[in-house]
Amino acid sequence: MRVKYMDLPRQFEDGTVVARVIDEFKRCQFVLGPQVAEFEGRFARACGAAHAVGLNSGTDALFFALKALGVGAGDEVITAPNSFVASAGAIVMAGATPVFVDVDAEYLMDPARLPDAITPRTRAIIPVHLTGNPADLDAIEAIATPRGLPVIEDAAQAVGAAIGGRVVGSIGTAAAFSLFPLKNLGVAGDGGMLTTRSRELFDKVMLYRHHGLRTRDEVEIWGYNSRLDTLQAIVADAVLDGLEAVTAARIRNAAFYDQALAPLAPHVVVPPRRRGVRQVFHTYVVQAERRDGLRQFLESRGVETKIHYPIPIHLQKAAAGLGYKRGAFPVSEAQSERIVSLPVHEYLTETEQHYVVDRIEEFYRR
Amino acid sequence: MRVPYSYLREQFADSEPILRDIKGLLESTQFTLGPPVAEFEERFARLCGARHAIGVGTGTDALFLSLKALGVEPGDEVITAADTFIATAGAIVQAGARPVFVDVLDDFNIDPGKIEAAITPRTRALLPVHYAGQPAKMGPILDIARRRKLPVVEDACQAISAAIDGKLVSNFGVAAGFSLHPLKNLNVWGDGGVIVTNSPELDATLRLLRNHGLKNRDEVEIFGYNCRLDSLQAIVGNHLIRDTESITAARIKNALALDAGLATLAPRVRVPKRLPNERHVFHLYMFEADDRDRLLAYLVEREIEAKIHYPVPLHLQPAGRRLGYKEGDFPVAERQAKRIITLPVHQHLSPSQVQFMIDSVAAFYRQR
Repeated sequence: MRVKYMDLPRQFEDGTVVARVIDEFKRCQFVLGPQVAEFEGRFARACGAAHAVGLNSGTDALFFALKALGVGAGDEVITAPNSFVASAGAIVMAGATPVFVDVDAEYLMDPARLPDAITPRTRAIIPVHLTGNPADLDAIEAIATPRGLPVIEDAAQAVGAAIGGRVVGSIGTAAAFSLFPLKNLGVAGDGGMLTTRSRELFDKVMLYRHHGLRTRDEVEIWGYNSRLDTLQAIVADAVLDGLEAVTAARIRNAAFYDQALAPLAPHVVVPPRRRGVRQVFHTYVVQAERRDGLRQFLESRGVETKIHYPIPIHLQKAAAGLGYKRGAFPVSEAQSERIVSLPVHEYLTETEQHYVVDRIEEFYRR
Repeated sequence: MRVPYSYLREQFADSEPILRDIKGLLESTQFTLGPPVAEFEERFARLCGARHAIGVGTGTDALFLSLKALGVEPGDEVITAADTFIATAGAIVQAGARPVFVDVLDDFNIDPGKIEAAITPRTRALLPVHYAGQPAKMGPILDIARRRKLPVVEDACQAISAAIDGKLVSNFGVAAGFSLHPLKNLNVWGDGGVIVTNSPELDATLRLLRNHGLKNRDEVEIFGYNCRLDSLQAIVGNHLIRDTESITAARIKNALALDAGLATLAPRVRVPKRLPNERHVFHLYMFEADDRDRLLAYLVEREIEAKIHYPVPLHLQPAGRRLGYKEGDFPVAERQAKRIITLPVHQHLSPSQVQFMIDSVAAFYRQR
């Protein structure tokens, strides 16, 4: 049996997205057409945020949030070392220095270690809702708010996730989402969204994304060119219709694995699940003994897996100048050698899930 | 007679072949740096007669990434033309550097005679603009660059296929930035840009910079950006690049007709001098006109969508004044800003529309 890690072609196979693109494209308003504003409105409502801005990527959404908050050279911004590189990349883009805080058993920024990372130069905190699991924003805000530090949610993997009744994207000062094709809400190319409750931040980002142009002829500030393509907004709008179903399917698939893999401890360790939190499972990540052997075995049995991510950011060549050494973040480092992402996508069948679990069992029985 | 500025509906009246390929992309789902991007890069490099083309998110980012790849950073200065689209200077600011403007010639391009005076010990690059599709005076510019050991990045965003003495733009500097914005001569269905270079080192650095600095899926060589040409837009580009030569020829033909018709209206209308060795590709058809604002109103009233590119020079914008510039710093650009006007020149104009524009400009001055 073949179990694909992701089944993107299925997303568009019924032809509705293509039909919408063809139909809407006739308006020929390719740059910031009305469909962008329509999608922004819907996205903001879905996140319970006051404002949403369509951008070229999730990376740019993080970068613009930092710029709008005045982050620049000489500043420090705190984030997690086990994220996709863009979390730190956006900080470097803004001219600031990324400062990492180790993570907990859920792969999320450990609030207990946060105070030690704060210095007089700290200007913002970017917790990452990695895998689609919301970081502990209550604990993080309890540390950040008294110090006057804004919290920017890296929600690139977490559209639809929630803490209690609070949906991610509506909790921090601003939040960044990615519409990258493999995301739960993915488009047919690059795209990103920034949400915020702050009118002032929203106004700035609207200028940033479009050359700082107040009108066609008036340049208020030096800006950038980072706009969600109208065509991608049309795709996003169509995909958003199915987001709740996609999320529900991923949550169901994850619950199945949680239960089925529990008996395999300590060979396979499922992260603890907090109550009252809605995880949306962009990825389903467990820690596994003999991880590389397991992956190879699964591959030979037709099961595709991935690692998110095998090298923590602080140990990347790009980070050499930041001065971190192996051992700086022991939890992240240990996890990077044990984590494996199992297929959890919305098209996975129960038969396929049984097959995946059976093969994992088989591997450890041998 | 209506003479619209935008022609996208005409250009894409029959888009069945493009849509068919997009359907194919949705089936293959190779949305990010997929085969259509590599194919487009190869075609684009060939069209420019250059070695490497790198697809990026926008023309702005094409300039920004070129400057970053050359090591431009905070504290540096980059020299560019005083009259250009905002993004030229925006890209310099984005790289952390300070835009240093130089006044322009009657052809709206940077005046090489004034560049030396703008060079300081902090100058790190020259960024001439091939404005409107008219190549800048690259001979003298390259002489200065060689003498002062400064790299030249060409802002070719409006100038695909422009040339001097048969040498295509993008082959003068170390790198050139192109825009694929929907209103450009070579356009796509959203934002897109291309960097062209003959340097394998720059090519390698730029490919890292546009994709998070990723050497492969897992290894981050340098901190980079997310700035990729979408496969979807590359598909559109692959279709339209076949038409670039005929589109360019049509625009040149329309421009020559306008030139001939407007020549008789001198000195109230001043068309820039055309040099036989320079290939102007007429992304914009610009000239200077007496009583410009009333001419513009008159033309618009006759349903000719004339425009101004741009009424306020960059150094006098709020963003530019904050750099310390003031009225009088660039007298030529400032004079032109009050006198320039842009007429539609696109490939979908009919000869009667071109004639109607000429007649309308003539009628405006006759009635006064």
